[in-house]
Amino acid sequence: MRFSAFVSIVPAAVLFGTFFAIPLVVLIATSFTSWSGRSLEIVGVENYQRMITDPVFMKALGNTLFYLAIGVFVQVPLGVGVGMVLALKPRGWKAFRTLLFIPFVISGAAYALIFSMFYNSRSGLLNSLLAPLGISGRDWLFDSETARWAVAGTFAFILGFVMIVIMAEIASIPRELYEAARVDGASELQQQLLITLPLLRNAIGTCVLIRVLADIGMFDLVFILTSGGPDDSTVSLALYAYRAYLQGDWGYANAIGTVIIGLGAILIVLVRRLFRIGDR
Amino acid sequence: MTSTSTTTSTSATRQGGLSNGQGARAAASATPRRARLFDGRGALASAVLYAALILATVLSLLPAFWVMVSSFKTAAQINTGEGFWPAPVTFQGYIDAFTQIHLQEYIVNSLLYAIGGTMGALVVAFLAAYPLARFDFLGKGFLNVTFALALAVPLVGLATPVFFIVRELGLFDSKIGLVVLYAALQFPFTFVVLRSFLQSIPPELEEAAIMDGAGYFTILSRVVLPLSRPAIATVSVVAFVQIWNEFFFANLLTVSSENHNVQLALAAFKSQFGFNITGALAGATIVMLVPIILFLVLQRQVIEGLTAGAVKS
Repeated sequence: MRFSAFVSIVPAAVLFGTFFAIPLVVLIATSFTSWSGRSLEIVGVENYQRMITDPVFMKALGNTLFYLAIGVFVQVPLGVGVGMVLALKPRGWKAFRTLLFIPFVISGAAYALIFSMFYNSRSGLLNSLLAPLGISGRDWLFDSETARWAVAGTFAFILGFVMIVIMAEIASIPRELYEAARVDGASELQQQLLITLPLLRNAIGTCVLIRVLADIGMFDLVFILTSGGPDDSTVSLALYAYRAYLQGDWGYANAIGTVIIGLGAILIVLVRRLFRIGDR
Repeated sequence: MTSTSTTTSTSATRQGGLSNGQGARAAASATPRRARLFDGRGALASAVLYAALILATVLSLLPAFWVMVSSFKTAAQINTGEGFWPAPVTFQGYIDAFTQIHLQEYIVNSLLYAIGGTMGALVVAFLAAYPLARFDFLGKGFLNVTFALALAVPLVGLATPVFFIVRELGLFDSKIGLVVLYAALQFPFTFVVLRSFLQSIPPELEEAAIMDGAGYFTILSRVVLPLSRPAIATVSVVAFVQIWNEFFFANLLTVSSENHNVQLALAAFKSQFGFNITGALAGATIVMLVPIILFLVLQRQVIEGLTAGAVKS
């Protein structure tokens, strides 16, 4: 029995070791080297020093934090709002839930294709919607003033995931709390703000965590939509690491990779503290 | 409407009782709680909320819907951007998607990756989740935490080492390489959800099977596996959709178009717009519709799987 149990863990340990543990160790170790896949030379913290003086790295870091901020401060609050409203079960809530969830199952590559059409300066829907409002059209993705915002606009309104997590959490709130508040004369709005919202702390924290994890590694949309341009105004950390990888500059690529994972870990700990996730 | 919903909700509450959150939750889903806001008293507030809901839905769906609609337009209409609806309607794009772009080849690849990767992750995760949910042994806590921690790693950061390992294993630019990698990528999520599910089923049935002299793997396949069907269904749908939608590692680990998945094909369409835009939009629509239809059909499983994963990680 014990032996069989041991045997059945082996495949997981091998798979995990090969594709998570070893890569993580290699990543961190080689971030202190100059590596091209073949020749390897230890250079200490040179790759990290290089980042500080590398203007493109700084842009990539800034953009990544910008995307992350859009995820955390636009996408999550909108999703929470929609989830809270739909949890009140207004007429047609199921239809809204289904429709709002659909964008979440559409891939990043499809989104990139959709928005390269949508933002197109000549034939895009956005400019033809803005024209009657007197707003002159632009080439949103290829104007360094607007490109970053255009990229953010592609994912800021994907609300489905946050919405369903919030709805599931609200469904688990004991209804007695509302009955009591109603007896005390609390309005619907007061009930939402004073009962529901505080009880959503854990769920909102979880959504923020998942956004942080996804947005810190932002790649597909930027890579396909703009390749990081124009003038590196949309480049993300993951895309910049990928460029270094393509140039055979693997040591630098892995230092950037380490920053992505390290920054992710720091933000996760921070968010968990902030939302006191875990202690209910 | 008000009075009915209020009475049923009160009786449901009484049945559920204060301490029984589970009962209350079941009752709540059986009798939808329609807030006062929406039953006519707060007409203005409810109008504002509906307007907000509609605005949110339009903002999040309009671009995708417009592209789907545009897949029935002629190339000329797409390029001028005139009119929201197709005029005239053409199915040429859908014909081109299969006859010129050969979308079916990428679909077959993506199905292989999604089914193979999901199955791989399921088998490996199930085998590991059972002992780690049931037995006590040295290192159990360490393994549980380590496997779950993988969910907190932004995987794109690992690009170069993963490429290096895959190449050293001789799996670069091969179908089997991607299947194995996807099984690995889906393993942590699958493991976490399956393990917490297995912890929730009572061990009596397995104990009875042991008394009957059944071996470990017999118990696993004959007793535990059938009981785990609901959890397996939920994680499978989520894993399938995630692999179907995966772009980063497919791009990193394949070069020949015969190994490309549908997402790589989509990305390539973008650079081929000039050459066959109707075919590209039709192809994109088909690729998007696969997870959308899966979601519409298996809505409950998808939502359960995602919320379970979110809460447990």
